[in-house]
Amino acid sequence: MAFAIEFFLRRISQGVVIVILVAFVIFTLLRIVPGDPIRIILGPMASATALEEKATELGLRDPIYVQFGRFMGQVTTGDFGRSFIRGAQGGSAGGSQDAVGYNPESRASVSALIANALPYSLQLAALGIAFAFLVAIPIGLGAGLRAGKWPDRLGLYVSSLFVSLPNIWVGVVLIFLLSAKTGWLPAIGYQGFAYTIIPAMVLAIELSPVMIRAISVSVAANLGEVYFDVGLVRGLSRRTMVAKHVLRNAAVPLLNLFGAQMIGMLLGGLFVVEYIFSYPGIGMLTINAVFQRDFPIIQAVAILASAALVAINMLVDFASTTIDRRLKF
Amino acid sequence: MSASLATKTASANNPQASVAPVMEVRGLSVVVSTAAGERSILSDIDLTVAPRSVLGIIGESGSGKTVLSRAMVNWLKPPLAITRGSVRYDGRDLLTLPAATMAGLRGREIAYIGANPTSALDPTVPVGHQILEKLRAVAPELSPQAARQRVIDTLDAVRIPSPKQRFDEYPFQFSGGMMQRAMIVDALVSNPKLLIADNITQPLDVTVAAQILRLLRDLQKDFDTSIVFVSSSLGIVSEIADDMIVLDRGHIVERQSVTGLLATPEHVYTKELIAKVPKIWATAEAPPEPSSDTVVLDVRDVDKTYRVRDRKAIFAERQVRAVRGVSFTVRRGENFGIIGESGCGKSTLSRLLSCLEQPDAGEIQFEGRDIATLKGRDLLGLRRRFQLLLQDPYNAIAAHASIGRTIAEPLLIHGLGNRREIEQKVKDVMAEVGLAPTLYNQLPIGLSAGQRQRVNIARALVLEPELLILDETLSSLDQVEQAKLLDLFETLQVKRGITYVYISHDLAMVRRVCARIAVMYLGRIVELADNDTMYWRSAHPYTRALLSAVPTVEAKPYRTGTYLLEGEPPDPIDIPPGCSFRTRCPFAFDRCATDDPSQTIYADGNASACHLPRNSLPAPELAH
Repeated sequence: MAFAIEFFLRRISQGVVIVILVAFVIFTLLRIVPGDPIRIILGPMASATALEEKATELGLRDPIYVQFGRFMGQVTTGDFGRSFIRGAQGGSAGGSQDAVGYNPESRASVSALIANALPYSLQLAALGIAFAFLVAIPIGLGAGLRAGKWPDRLGLYVSSLFVSLPNIWVGVVLIFLLSAKTGWLPAIGYQGFAYTIIPAMVLAIELSPVMIRAISVSVAANLGEVYFDVGLVRGLSRRTMVAKHVLRNAAVPLLNLFGAQMIGMLLGGLFVVEYIFSYPGIGMLTINAVFQRDFPIIQAVAILASAALVAINMLVDFASTTIDRRLKF
Repeated sequence: MSASLATKTASANNPQASVAPVMEVRGLSVVVSTAAGERSILSDIDLTVAPRSVLGIIGESGSGKTVLSRAMVNWLKPPLAITRGSVRYDGRDLLTLPAATMAGLRGREIAYIGANPTSALDPTVPVGHQILEKLRAVAPELSPQAARQRVIDTLDAVRIPSPKQRFDEYPFQFSGGMMQRAMIVDALVSNPKLLIADNITQPLDVTVAAQILRLLRDLQKDFDTSIVFVSSSLGIVSEIADDMIVLDRGHIVERQSVTGLLATPEHVYTKELIAKVPKIWATAEAPPEPSSDTVVLDVRDVDKTYRVRDRKAIFAERQVRAVRGVSFTVRRGENFGIIGESGCGKSTLSRLLSCLEQPDAGEIQFEGRDIATLKGRDLLGLRRRFQLLLQDPYNAIAAHASIGRTIAEPLLIHGLGNRREIEQKVKDVMAEVGLAPTLYNQLPIGLSAGQRQRVNIARALVLEPELLILDETLSSLDQVEQAKLLDLFETLQVKRGITYVYISHDLAMVRRVCARIAVMYLGRIVELADNDTMYWRSAHPYTRALLSAVPTVEAKPYRTGTYLLEGEPPDPIDIPPGCSFRTRCPFAFDRCATDDPSQTIYADGNASACHLPRNSLPAPELAH
């Protein structure tokens, strides 16, 4: 118990520092890249004096650390600012008003935009991971338990095949086969759960090869450990040894892989897949924001992504140290 | 005497004897298939295990004893294969039993314990739970509570302290000795009829091995189990076995009772085996003399503490006191020995001596200069003059570099000489340590442990060091190879005047080569004396306990029963107040619990840290 409290106190405080540093770097980079945000807010028609006036009013001429402090103050209350472009009622408003007509209240709040998009992305990610597990766990286990036999080769072939398919191409082919040609599943946009299935399959094909390899290597390595052999001589059955000991030990490297690599791959995958399928999640929101130079959205997504990575890694490490008490944190 | 021996042997190894044997092996042959064809590992093995007896099987490494012990539970895997013979147990031939029936016997009626206790269990599950799991698997009729109670009772029977608490602790929290006890519990908890113990004391310290042997002897009576005890140490097998079988390259060359075997060995190989057991006391050789040259290494009050996180409290650390106030001096051309069991701080000390870590307090002076304060170029220059050689000859050599390149590496690092000079130096030193010049351009693949250790020695010697620290350098080598390298060290000492610090747990080797010896216990030197005093008239109970536990086949000045230690050394995190040895000392009295004894230096220059005066310990039972 004491261990859990200390673990979380330590890791949460480290995590907060990491997220603040990431936030500062992103915030600064977005403000030193060419292009004045006020020009994006007000559009090309606004006059120079109007720009300056409005920029000073919005605090955009303050030193970066002042702006950052103000921003972080808002973030702690859950307010990530307002979009430069998107209207509160939806749709883009950028460039259509002059200085007098601009009212920050008319723009959509970033937190609301993210809160709207997040459930869609979580649903897609969860289904993608579930599909990946469905493929990778049986194939990976088979390959690990029967090293050198046909299941091992099957694992190798499947993972080699999947790893060499570009996700954009897979997306297009699946849309063609499962939607356009056969009409089994809907593909573009979102009007119900069925719209998540094809994008999730694309994600799963991207995630599963790494999982298959990791599971088979980890399981095979544990079968080679002394404790496995000794367990059989001690009078335990192979089935018990695999179910109770090999899988448990094999889980530790898999958890670490999941925290360190899979979440990153998943985030990257979401952006591409959501864009291909016009799926209204965080990825789509971010890509549009990048095209429109809508900095508040970009920085909010980046900060949330780093916070999610930190949190997931913390949980993964906690699970690992709970399984294997030898691990230090 | 020979008549009585003969009858005893007959009753144990004759199938027609009145008592039905527990196991009979007849005509067993095992081969290994390699790319070059089949090679015989065991041929025509006949043996009989009598009920309630201990059958010892002795053989050197490569004699096939592990294969034999595994064949007795029908547990051989390809490329090993049984070609003919039978292993009869309880009226059935184990070799022809269906796999499922055999699996039902294994662990239940026939238990097997191996040489590697620390990796024998799943590292992520508490020890007690795993023993319980096994008991429930082989005896499903027991209720969970009854099974749990039986495991705890058996843990208690092998004298694991606070067994209830230990039940929930993990394998990494057990020392090697405790873990081997746990494996004995695991084997005995199902009341097997036969226990096969394959080299189980090999990784253990001598005092712990002595405890395990006595324990196994007691348990064998209590549990009514027959034991097949396999070992490569004649000293150890002779402590426990009733009858012995000598195995040489897959053949049984001799079978006799233990007393008969030691007194009147018949086969040449057995005689050789007995002659090879290192002698500590029964030796004509005079031990090396202490040197009176200048002091090379002066260690003064060195302390080293490591900090580890405490899992049971918030933001707490625990201090592991690895080395506590160690002082000694080594003179030029002298062999200094540091002995002690695992966890006594020897290895930390070797890291401090070789400047891999800095002491927290105290000074280490090499030729009058404090090595702790040296940095950069000065430290590099000093490093040339003392070198460290470690135990593992495999991981210390890069697999992808040629042997010549490996040995040349230190010269390149220190920038000594051009290419031709370096090549010449490397070839010279290779010749000196006995490596063939043809190895110069070869990769280290295929080198034996002894040859690899020679490469390590050559790599250290090429810098022409003045001091060599040998941290268990010879421990992984067999007797023959060890003796050759010791001769090499001696030759080098005569030729180059090198000073050696031997850090070892091998008391026989230290007896042979070291002039002065320090005994460490829990990070402290408890006794420091010259060789003869140490072995014949030691002043500290711990030294005597160590010496009494050495497995030898000669008369000892210290009787095992008088000095046998209980328990294990305390955790260096919780060092008890007072004398740190008192928790295991057979002579501890009131004062030991409160006063920590300081080192008493006697008139002859020897020292020990004990409240008891030198002459109040029992008189040695053998005079020098």
